[in-house]
Amino acid sequence: MDMTPLWLSLKLAFMTTVVLVIMAAPLTYLLVYIRFAGKSFFEALLTLPMVLPPTVLGFYLLLVMTPQGNIGRFWKAVTGSPLIFTFAGIVVASLVYSLPFAIQPMKAAFEKIDRRLLESAYVLGLSPLSTFFRVIIPNTLNGLAASAILVFIHTLGEFGVILMVGGSIPGETRVASIAIYEAVEALRYGDAAMMCLILVPISYLFLLIINRLTRRQIYGT
Amino acid sequence: MELSISIKKKLPHFDLDVSFSCRKNRLLVLVGPSGAGKTTIIRILAGLDRPDEGRITYNGEIWVDTDKNIFLPPQERHLGYVFQEYTLFPHLTVARNVAFSADDKRDIPSLLQRFNIWHLKDRKPDKISGGERQRCAICQAMARRPRLLLLDEPFSALDAVTRQNLREEVRKLKRELSIPVIHVTHDISEALYLGDDVLPMVSGRIVRKWMVQFMLKGRPPEQEKFSEDMEGYDSHDRRDISVLYDSLEVMQ
Amino acid sequence: MRQYISKMLIIGFIILGLSLPAVAGEKLLVAVAANFILPSGELTKIFQDRTGIATEATYASTGKLFGQIVKGAPYDVFFAADEKRPNLAEKQGLADKPFVYARGQVVVWTAKRTLCGATDWQTVVKNPEVQKIAIANTESAPYGTAAMIALQRAGLWDTLKGKYVFPQSVAQAFQYAETKSADVGFCAYSSALSDKGKKGCFYTVPEAPPIIQAACILKGTKNRSAAERFVAFIQSSEAQKIKEKYGYR
Repeated sequence: MDMTPLWLSLKLAFMTTVVLVIMAAPLTYLLVYIRFAGKSFFEALLTLPMVLPPTVLGFYLLLVMTPQGNIGRFWKAVTGSPLIFTFAGIVVASLVYSLPFAIQPMKAAFEKIDRRLLESAYVLGLSPLSTFFRVIIPNTLNGLAASAILVFIHTLGEFGVILMVGGSIPGETRVASIAIYEAVEALRYGDAAMMCLILVPISYLFLLIINRLTRRQIYGT
Repeated sequence: MELSISIKKKLPHFDLDVSFSCRKNRLLVLVGPSGAGKTTIIRILAGLDRPDEGRITYNGEIWVDTDKNIFLPPQERHLGYVFQEYTLFPHLTVARNVAFSADDKRDIPSLLQRFNIWHLKDRKPDKISGGERQRCAICQAMARRPRLLLLDEPFSALDAVTRQNLREEVRKLKRELSIPVIHVTHDISEALYLGDDVLPMVSGRIVRKWMVQFMLKGRPPEQEKFSEDMEGYDSHDRRDISVLYDSLEVMQ
Repeated sequence: MRQYISKMLIIGFIILGLSLPAVAGEKLLVAVAANFILPSGELTKIFQDRTGIATEATYASTGKLFGQIVKGAPYDVFFAADEKRPNLAEKQGLADKPFVYARGQVVVWTAKRTLCGATDWQTVVKNPEVQKIAIANTESAPYGTAAMIALQRAGLWDTLKGKYVFPQSVAQAFQYAETKSADVGFCAYSSALSDKGKKGCFYTVPEAPPIIQAACILKGTKNRSAAERFVAFIQSSEAQKIKEKYGYR
């Protein structure tokens, strides 16, 4: 059985997780600590991918990622290659798809930090940026980990969006969820079952880890 | 080295309007009922809040001047601040907390020993007692060799015995330091025990500076001056001022 | 509380009742291969108006529909894009004997005018300007299979490997080409003849086997008479003219 789709899924999940955790941290900081006009609208916008049906999300992503679309055009201008139907393209799609899942646990963790700790840091001479790295991050590691894991498993299971913008290219965008779908279509139930058999324990394992991490936060170990 | 402050700020229940100064080697206590605006003043001194109008200068250096739109951020005021709670970083040990912004890392062991927490240096804040935490907080502030020390009800959350011990420490510290120290408390006895200058505050205003004289010279306020002081205050505040005066008299 | 429950129950029953198919009139549910969407739309409308039998069509790739039928989906008639699946259905005892209802062709279609006017389809796909070629899933979509065979026969299947994009159906292939996400696509001839199709250009692909599309009445149908009437209509000469209009023979 061809294992490439599984590797592709893992690679996609890993890349999305790394990029998204780094992207989400400053966004979350903005949401929690900074007051600005239209904040609630901005926040709702960031949560949107969580409530939209994946095919709706995929549709809009398709529109902006094609060579005529805004993002597709920009990408082509900067890198010389198209964005749609590439691995980079499905990473971008996954970033949008999983963004709210990165922000929520981080937001909960950031909000738990007492403002006085930050003020203490400022008085001690730390800039807001240094405070972010030396005070906020070390005290929200559990939240960050929960974010990362949630994004990882969410991306592993991504289907509808990738179906729309991936193009199912073997070795590039034919991830496990798509391969399983196509195997079922082609009545290759054996292949489908094999891939599922591998994906399920991976997801389950990560869920267990999340549970342990969040439990530790509650009991304060 | 002198700190000078004159500010006004509109607060939900009253208007804050104070002016005072504090010289080096002196400990100034702001005392009064909860909600009188004492913490707000400290926060404004630290740069964590802004006044609506006013000036704050330290040794000629302008920290705040609303007319000229000058505001020096807390990072650059180089002062020490001890909160009532949540002063220490939970992810760091006692030693690292103290070293967090230390001017010279070599100071740390002697600081820790002086405040009797050397034996706790590798413990995390949640594994030490409240009193030990506050000692650590003081060390953390002192490690930076601050130009001004602010203490905002630092002992209010502690038991009576620990409170007394720590008061002793601060009194000793005061004699050694050559910086101004401003201490906020709602406890009259603490105010009198520690303060070189005592400023009673009620509803955002200092109830006449000559109260300081009264305490130093041990004379009770004259009747007319007493009723003058009451002007401008509502009945609730007048009651507070009466209590303050009475307590101060008792303490004398 | 009791009032609330009874109100909910009433509303629930109303919703349920509205969603149940009308018992009085007959109704047909047909599964139609994606490429046949346009002629099917017109044909079902005529049939519905003429006979009063409500006819609803579901469009997807042949493979997907077959998979659903195997799992017991309640279709009455199955219009595939190949003969293989209807034959399989018959063999598995799920359907009556299949019959051919249309013959389609696969063409190479492009929305990019710069690619029009070449000698043949092979020149177009070999053109270095063509970075992405849309081919419907070769396992479950007959148009995709036909395209693959054509490419293999022309000796190009392996050489162009880096350029393929595999949408799930031939309709999606046309969509990719039409939005210029793909430079060209192996589409159904009927797509090339559509309004959108006319804005681009197409090339015939002689190397591709004709798409012989077969259909069958499913044994599980609850409206056999209506199904038989529909099938008869589809095979009429009137229907034939309509199919030809859309590029089927």
